[in-house]
Amino acid sequence: MLERKTIKNLDWTFLWLIAIILMSSLVVLKSASANVVTGQPYYFVKKQVLWIGIGFCAMTVIASFNYRQFLKLGNYIYLLNLGILLAVLLFGEESKGAQRWIGLGPFEFQPSEFAKIAIIISFAAFLNRRQGCLNTFKDLIPCFLYIGIPMLLILKQPDLGTSLVFLAIMLGMLWAGGANPKLMVSLILVILLLVIIIFGILFVATDGFQKPPEDLPIPLPLKSYQLMRLIIFVNPDMDPLGAGYHMIQSQVAIGSGGFVGKGMGNGSQVQGNFLPEHHTDFIFSVVGEELGFIGGSLVLLMFFLLITRMIKIATESRDIFGTLIVIGITSMLCFHVMINIGMTIGIMPVTGLPLPFMSYGGSGLLTNMVSMGLVLGIALRKEQLTF
Amino acid sequence: MQVTTVTMRRRIAVLFFGAVAVFFLLFIRLGYLMFVEGSELRLKAEQLRMREVPVAAKRGIIYDRNMKKLAVSISADSVYALPPEVKHSGKADEIAKKLAPILEISEDKLKEKITADRSFEWVKRKLDFEKAQQIRDLELPGIKIVEESQRFYPKDQLACHILGFAGLDNQGLEGIEVTRDADLKGIPGEIVIEYDARGRELPQAIHKFNSPVDGNSLVLTIDETIQYFAERELDKVMASPSKPKNATIIVMRPKTGEILALASRPGYDPNNYGSFASQNWRNIAVSNSYEPGSTFKIVTMSAALEEDVVDPDDRFYDPGYVVVGDRRIKCWRSYQPHGSQSFREVVQNSCNPGFVEVGMKLEEKEKGLFYKYINAFGFGTKTGLGLPGEASGLMIKEKNLKPINIATISIGQSISVTPLQILTAACAVSNGGVLMEPQIVKEVIDSNDNVIQDFTPKSVRRVISQETANLTCDILESVVAEGTGRNAYIEGYRVGGKTGTAQKAGPGGYMQGKYVASFIGIAPVNDPQIAALVVIDEPQGYPYYGGTLAAPIFKAVVEDSLRYLGVPSQYAEGEKEETAPQAVKKTVTVPEVINLSFEEAKKVLTLEGLKAEIKGEGPIVTQQTPGGMAKVEAGSTVLLRMGNNDASPAPGYVTVPDLTGKRIREVAELLGIMNLKLNSVGHGRVIEQEPIPGSKIKAGETVTVTFSDEEITEETMGP
Repeated sequence: MLERKTIKNLDWTFLWLIAIILMSSLVVLKSASANVVTGQPYYFVKKQVLWIGIGFCAMTVIASFNYRQFLKLGNYIYLLNLGILLAVLLFGEESKGAQRWIGLGPFEFQPSEFAKIAIIISFAAFLNRRQGCLNTFKDLIPCFLYIGIPMLLILKQPDLGTSLVFLAIMLGMLWAGGANPKLMVSLILVILLLVIIIFGILFVATDGFQKPPEDLPIPLPLKSYQLMRLIIFVNPDMDPLGAGYHMIQSQVAIGSGGFVGKGMGNGSQVQGNFLPEHHTDFIFSVVGEELGFIGGSLVLLMFFLLITRMIKIATESRDIFGTLIVIGITSMLCFHVMINIGMTIGIMPVTGLPLPFMSYGGSGLLTNMVSMGLVLGIALRKEQLTF
Repeated sequence: MQVTTVTMRRRIAVLFFGAVAVFFLLFIRLGYLMFVEGSELRLKAEQLRMREVPVAAKRGIIYDRNMKKLAVSISADSVYALPPEVKHSGKADEIAKKLAPILEISEDKLKEKITADRSFEWVKRKLDFEKAQQIRDLELPGIKIVEESQRFYPKDQLACHILGFAGLDNQGLEGIEVTRDADLKGIPGEIVIEYDARGRELPQAIHKFNSPVDGNSLVLTIDETIQYFAERELDKVMASPSKPKNATIIVMRPKTGEILALASRPGYDPNNYGSFASQNWRNIAVSNSYEPGSTFKIVTMSAALEEDVVDPDDRFYDPGYVVVGDRRIKCWRSYQPHGSQSFREVVQNSCNPGFVEVGMKLEEKEKGLFYKYINAFGFGTKTGLGLPGEASGLMIKEKNLKPINIATISIGQSISVTPLQILTAACAVSNGGVLMEPQIVKEVIDSNDNVIQDFTPKSVRRVISQETANLTCDILESVVAEGTGRNAYIEGYRVGGKTGTAQKAGPGGYMQGKYVASFIGIAPVNDPQIAALVVIDEPQGYPYYGGTLAAPIFKAVVEDSLRYLGVPSQYAEGEKEETAPQAVKKTVTVPEVINLSFEEAKKVLTLEGLKAEIKGEGPIVTQQTPGGMAKVEAGSTVLLRMGNNDASPAPGYVTVPDLTGKRIREVAELLGIMNLKLNSVGHGRVIEQEPIPGSKIKAGETVTVTFSDEEITEETMGP
């Protein structure tokens, strides 16, 4: 499938960025996970190395596969995705109060991760067919439904974070796909309004975020713990040992890091387990505490460079389908970074979205590597090629 | 293609700027968190995870001048609880149940402690090793034991007021422990234990042990043995029928100002200070000020001699009182006035009118001259000894001073001094006129015995000239040899001293029956090694005179101390003739051997050419017959009754003095001082007495004395 000319197009900068991020993630993970499994400080590092290996293979395979084939497969992918998400709701394994996993033999599989890629590809194909037909609100309704159905299924798991990722993906791709700017602005305003309404309701219900809510004046389609996260986001000190714990501890950890940090393995808040989930969702807190402002800024810089590179790839894609896929993936990545890091530094509510490439977790890493494979493949085929 | 590449690129550019905005926001917030809120959050982080178990530093040792340990630190185990760990284990009830019988604390109280809403809680400090071991063996979750150090005073009550004591946290609370706390305490260490979020000790977490730095040790100027002598005598007098309210003895080295002993009663055991009333902790030797009475006449005398307003041979006439302004000051012996006497005799007799006259003369010469000397001797200011709670005494303000005040101050009234001040002043006299700063700490040494700070004797100022000092000492010696201080006479040594019997002032004037008996003495006067002050506050009944109550105590302490210090007996034959009271030919004076061991007593007696016979059992001589100072023929046998040192005379009794050979006037005076009535038969010198010397009779009873008629001529020719 690949020709010599194609390989010449290999985006080394992009690859190096991914490699550097992954290498630094292992260093951080070593420090962050050393105390999770007693007596096995490398337990998670070893597993993650394995996942990175698998991820590179997956990336290579996906990159070598011509993404244009997906154009025809879009709808099948979409239907398969819906099927799996339904299966999760029906047969999924419960973990931490949410059904997000499906057991496949020895592996546990998190379908919502796969769903993100599936929806990017299928929505890119969907939008590709509707180019220039995104000018009226009526035109946009099918788009909303297309994204909305899987999004609701995920919200039902419940996985608010991932469903919000869908929203971000939809907005980014619609915008790039040429939707009417006025409609887009209105859409964003509506979302903002919804957010304001939700917080408004919570404000009333909690006496200005001073106490846990009793009865909501208007019922919201959110679980009580999700509501609590939003309340705590405004006032973490309301329940410092309960719902506000993560937020406070994460900020304490990062804030105590200082300019150069406490050094690898010396992050007292992290090593003392004051900050739970520090090897997964809160890995950026480890960076902040142990490597300080410098380390945190470098991580931000790496992600920024990666996203910049992906946007460059998006503009150089030989077709709109490719551009849309790359923009979808960029939106997803950017949203993850924003929500995750924002959460650790206290400007986003706790949602449970991992930091791409950095947080420990096989499904997430594999998804990211697959999506990087897609971007790489699109970059490889940026020039018109003769078949 | 519906969407133009240009439109798309523009739209992607917008997305790019959106991403830039997002990253910029994250970057700014990161910096804000780290640099603006950083220090606050860092502090919060520390509080969250560190639990410090304090480890007190080992307090320095307190030594006496011969490096004998007076206060040491021993290790003691303390039990503490980590309530989060206890709560986490869920066995709080069980733990409390197991600990309660060992610690003898109620279960409820224990449970409350070990589940307190704190991260660290002492359960019981400094408990027995065995109990600590029992608790260790139980291996209860969240209950830990740390080794602390505890103060131990091996000599119990000895020197309690000097040493003071240290509290539970090894902080000095009283005495030298508090004034020298900075030297002694060291730097406390701590075990820093890092805890995880659930309050569990992290298995792999830092157990930093910041080891404490041991405190430095003190070498005091105190001599444990002399201190013991002083306390032994204090205990004796406290248990005697006198039952004084309190009593103090200070022993000082006049040449250096070093305190050799400083003791007061009532005392306490610093190991157990909590079970004594807090007034027992009070170091009255430096904190109490009292009207010194006649002992203050040393100051009056030396000032007057220095200013040449009086000469030892100047004649004075005592009608029994003296009138100053509209007040009449009585002599202590106004019932039998001293009559005509030289100044030397005025001092010997402690005659009040004589001293008033001298004091007034001093003030006549120059206004404020007397106060100049009083101030120069250090009254009215703290001596700077370095024990807590030192008083500066009370003096009438100079501008308010009236002649009557000068008169009363001359005899030691209308001025209030601390025992330490008056002794320091007396030391200046015996030290050739140079006032030394009293000193109690000799050296500060570290744990390897390296001297860190050396306190050399400090002279404050010259108060009187060497000549005046010598003259004053000479007169003071005659007080002991011939005057009111004769009970302080120590065979073989030249002792100088001054008695004091002050009526205590209370609301509305002087209080009947409340006295302070005191004695200040120096030995040997020609080469002073020891100066001591004995103050007996509010003795009950008789005797209450300084000469009869305090002087014998001075003698007991100083005699033992001189012997202990190896001060050579310097008695030349000629001097003996001059100063020994009425030596009869071919007789010897029986030395006082009470409180000595049999061996020592025998040695002393043999030296005087006497034989010793033992009676009873015990480590020391409690009674001797004939008593000390008695004149017997050389070669006689002295009966020594052995016993324990706490033997005290029967209550309410006085010992009949040996009157043999004395003339009627002396007999009358002596018995008067002891409040014994005299029934005299004949004239001349005493040849017989009933009861015999050394017997104990009730105060106020009669002694029948028979005088030899042959020597009547001598009596009529007498002065």
